[in-house]
Amino acid sequence: MHNRFNPYWKTIILSLGCWAVIHVAQAQNTDSTKQESADEEDFSMYDNVGFADEGARRYCSPKIEGLSPAKLISIGYDFQTGYGLGAGAFKSQDKNTNWSQDSVNVLNSQGLRLGFNIPVISRTNLVWQMGANYWEQRYFMEDPDGSALQTNHPLLQTLSQNGLRTLGVSTTVFKPLDDKRFLLFQGSADLNGDFSPLGMMPLKYLKYSAALVYGLRPNEKKQWGLGLARTYRVGELNYIPVFLFNWTDPANKWGTEILFPARAHVRYTINPRNMLFGGFELEGQSYRLWNTNGTPDKFRDEDLEIRRGEIRLRAMYEFSLKDFIWLSVQAGYRINYRYEVDRLVGGQEIYRAFGLLSDEPYVMENRLGNPLYFNISLNLVSP
Amino acid sequence: MKKLTLFLMSLALCMQAYAFMPGDDGDRLLGVWEPSNGRARVKVEKIGSKYYGKIVWLKEPNDPKSGLPKTDINNPDANLQNVPLKGYRMLKDFVYQENNQWSEGTIYDPLNGSTYSCTIKMTDPNTLDIRGYIGVSAFGRTDVWKRLAVKK
Repeated sequence: MHNRFNPYWKTIILSLGCWAVIHVAQAQNTDSTKQESADEEDFSMYDNVGFADEGARRYCSPKIEGLSPAKLISIGYDFQTGYGLGAGAFKSQDKNTNWSQDSVNVLNSQGLRLGFNIPVISRTNLVWQMGANYWEQRYFMEDPDGSALQTNHPLLQTLSQNGLRTLGVSTTVFKPLDDKRFLLFQGSADLNGDFSPLGMMPLKYLKYSAALVYGLRPNEKKQWGLGLARTYRVGELNYIPVFLFNWTDPANKWGTEILFPARAHVRYTINPRNMLFGGFELEGQSYRLWNTNGTPDKFRDEDLEIRRGEIRLRAMYEFSLKDFIWLSVQAGYRINYRYEVDRLVGGQEIYRAFGLLSDEPYVMENRLGNPLYFNISLNLVSP
Repeated sequence: MKKLTLFLMSLALCMQAYAFMPGDDGDRLLGVWEPSNGRARVKVEKIGSKYYGKIVWLKEPNDPKSGLPKTDINNPDANLQNVPLKGYRMLKDFVYQENNQWSEGTIYDPLNGSTYSCTIKMTDPNTLDIRGYIGVSAFGRTDVWKRLAVKK
């Protein structure tokens, strides 16, 4: 009679058994990722430990608890409802050409807003980010009586035909000095103007902005600082003090995110994936009037720049759509602060310092109504 | 002779199974580490062939409102929101890849309830670069962790 369990089969079964046992054991170990009960280990033994490397230092983090997540990639759209725009009278530099004032209805102004921020160095003692952004604002106009736009005013012509665009790069450096003190530097270089995406302005028209803040981070829920900024946020170049104040209450519900005067918001955290904000942002730049498309050639040679500054009172809701994809929706009221046109003197901007250093008048003074505005953006947020 | 051949085959199968387990180099990750914010201490352990890190100490162990030990209240899974943070495995499934690097793991941030892909690089025996990222490494942030030892 044939033996069912001859030695060969026994050895094969033993081998397979041995292989299976090892794999099952490995699988069981690997899957044992469930949380252990806090009772299973005496955690007090970890109270009395210090750095193995006695020379190691602690540095404060660039963030505080409860802060809204930083945006790595942002794709957004901005829409302003209708308002009136009155462009002032203007005389060319050689006094030979005059344009009289004109007014139009802006049916709406709108445009894409793209932003990118990539961490370059992210270490305990240094954080460095680089960014790029592209913003556009296109104007859809009609004559005040509701008929199709027919204007000879060069500013209205170029706004209508070319709109305004900003293309820029930025950098942010956070340098902790120790576990409580830090330096924060932000700098940007922007091309702003009525250029088209296919007709880039020369780099000599770059506008440079920067801010340096010295700050304190006394605990995990507060950081504040004081500094100085070179900014175009009120439309023209200014050097102003800045105040940083980020704070979260002990219950992680309320907080502030303030870099005054650029922006200031009160934050309400429904949960870490749903946040509400109320506050304002000061937006502005100097836009080079450079594009001759649809405007008299002469206008391009006048060395003109729009000094645009606006305050956006707003409410925002930011929430996670899925994991790290966040949607931001905002609605608010856009208040015009300045939309005047300045002529450069010898290629240099006039530095007025809010009228303290110069009372040189603008070459074109314009009036803008204040519309409601809406903004929506899809964002990839940072860890 | 056939028995010997089969025995050697079975031995080879067993060795193949063990071959997936890492060498001792990866075990240099074992120990207690402190993230740069100093809010927690994390003990790295080895389970099977992989490395895991659990929270063993919190700077603020109790919830300021309730006074009770903190739990994972920000976890998107409501069933896990009562799990104590002490003992929570925030590093999971790391595999040693040579050159002082561990990868294929994830890191969990209890502050926002998010889990990120993660790689670990040991820059010196007492320092780790922990990089959490989304999709590709470029979209991430590196935190530096320091090894802790019992105070003398």
